Amino acid sequence: MPLLILLIPSLLFLVAVFALPLFRYTWLSFHADSVMTGLVAIPNQGANWQRFIHDTRYLQDLFQTLRFSVVSVTAEIVLGLVIALILHQPMRKRALIRSSALIPWALPTTVMALGWRWIFNTPYGPIDRLTQSWLGQSLNALGEPSIAWITTVYADIWKTTPFVALILLAGLQTIPSDLYEAAKLEGAGSWICLRRITIPLLLPYLGLALMFRLAQAFGVFDLVQVMTGGGPASSTESIALYAYWNALRFLDFGYSATIMIGSFVILSSLILITWLVVTTARNRSQQSLAR
Amino acid sequence: MTLELENVGRNINKQWIVENICLTVADNECLALVGPSGCGKSTTLRLIAGLDPVSAGSIHIRGRDITSLSPSERSVGMVFQSYALLPHLTVFENLELGLRVRGVPKPERRFKIKGILDLVQLWNRADNRPAELSGGQRQRVALARALLRDPEVYLLDEPMSNLDAQLREDIRPELRRLVLEQRKPTIYVTHDQHEAMAMAQRIAVLHEGRIEQIDTPYNLYHNPESLFVARFIGRPQINCLKGDSGSIRAVRPESIRFSDEGLSGKLQSREWLGNSQLLFLETQQGVIRMMTSPDQGIPAQIRLTWRAEDEILFDADTGLRSRR
Repeated sequence: MPLLILLIPSLLFLVAVFALPLFRYTWLSFHADSVMTGLVAIPNQGANWQRFIHDTRYLQDLFQTLRFSVVSVTAEIVLGLVIALILHQPMRKRALIRSSALIPWALPTTVMALGWRWIFNTPYGPIDRLTQSWLGQSLNALGEPSIAWITTVYADIWKTTPFVALILLAGLQTIPSDLYEAAKLEGAGSWICLRRITIPLLLPYLGLALMFRLAQAFGVFDLVQVMTGGGPASSTESIALYAYWNALRFLDFGYSATIMIGSFVILSSLILITWLVVTTARNRSQQSLAR
Repeated sequence: MTLELENVGRNINKQWIVENICLTVADNECLALVGPSGCGKSTTLRLIAGLDPVSAGSIHIRGRDITSLSPSERSVGMVFQSYALLPHLTVFENLELGLRVRGVPKPERRFKIKGILDLVQLWNRADNRPAELSGGQRQRVALARALLRDPEVYLLDEPMSNLDAQLREDIRPELRRLVLEQRKPTIYVTHDQHEAMAMAQRIAVLHEGRIEQIDTPYNLYHNPESLFVARFIGRPQINCLKGDSGSIRAVRPESIRFSDEGLSGKLQSREWLGNSQLLFLETQQGVIRMMTSPDQGIPAQIRLTWRAEDEILFDADTGLRSRR
């Protein structure tokens, strides 16, 4: 019993920052709480959830958020691995190069998003000037719905690849060099070393980077808000942006809570499915390796 | 001579890590490289393996110049101190990787691995991962990988220093059987001089990147060429006494005798070693270590002597042996 008493401060903390908001929003999602109700929560028999299930705008935003997350995180992991492998090589001024590679990640998102908004500005930004003089045509990187989401993905990759590279670089440093030396003696080239030594021993770190980045990308808000505000034609609107608008533009707190809890459930089940697929695939590959 | 090193050196940032290494190792010979840490013994091994570039000199295996060849072209089998086994692969897969890289077809791979694992008595552990094996078993897997290559030279880098003392003694005959029976030149790096004496026919003592002396274990012990070798080889350490005209007289602890005349001393402390006892005796010449039988009594008046032929003379300035 005395031991349990010692746990109480950290439990209180967890309850305050994690459980309480979760319960509050779950509770709120079963209530109407908007300007119409005078911002008083009134039970509405699951009307929010009825609306949520049939909300095509939410479905569109869910697709756009998943598209953003999958494309940017995949690119970040591939590029991050390449950069980590380069930074892992012995070179002059390695500490300086390593720290300067982190600069994009250290910049506040709003600042760098503003920077990219100007760089991609049509028709005055340098990128648009380039396409105008080379292709004789404006790129309209932030105004064309089919391109704007790629522009936001590009900015996200620019900003967070260094973070992935940092995690993977830390992982690379845990691999003993004599594993490579032993392989070299056996005649293994750099491709075999990468495939048979680096990637397998880096898997826990790749998984860590994947989890961190997926969770962050799924909740993307500031980057999109500053660069496009969700437009053009809602083509870059993310779930977080939609929830934010429902709460603070339409002042519909009940439905905003429904969006958040619903997204929480969807994201958790997606992660669960991914985890199940990965573990069964790993088990199967181990069984097949065991002759 | 199968393995020849001629004036081999390694230079990093204008500083010689090892310099002027000349060695020849015959077929069926095991040469041990010993020395204090940082003396360049592991570097020498890495130069032979091709893991570090040679800055000077040349290395030949059976007359073939391998100085600038890549590690895999050199036909060397190496056992690493850490064993360097891949943790995510089984014993079988660890051994298979090299064969696969060299393009050995699958049935032959299996046949060869079975043969080698039978030899090191680990076929029943083929499907285990390294983490599931004991230190001694891991060491045998690392050895099996070197044997599997059927190389022309074996390089063993402190192969037993991660094992406890009892296991090391148990494995020595096993290691002798497996490696030395291949009748290939073998270089054995160790910081443990007992291990070097037990395993090798000849020992090279390295000091600050240079070879101090290459000789048989017997000669290194009884006829050291320099004060460094005399002090490095033999435990408890040799006694060094000031001699006449800038010379140093070195006497092994077991050569010291009690007598009626000679250097007078006082017992400072004693260590029981089971089959012997080690006495620390305070004299005007400093503390003298004396090794004697366990039932030797201590006389009331301690006087120490030794035979003249047991004394080795060194020049105090150069540290080299001086002949009388």
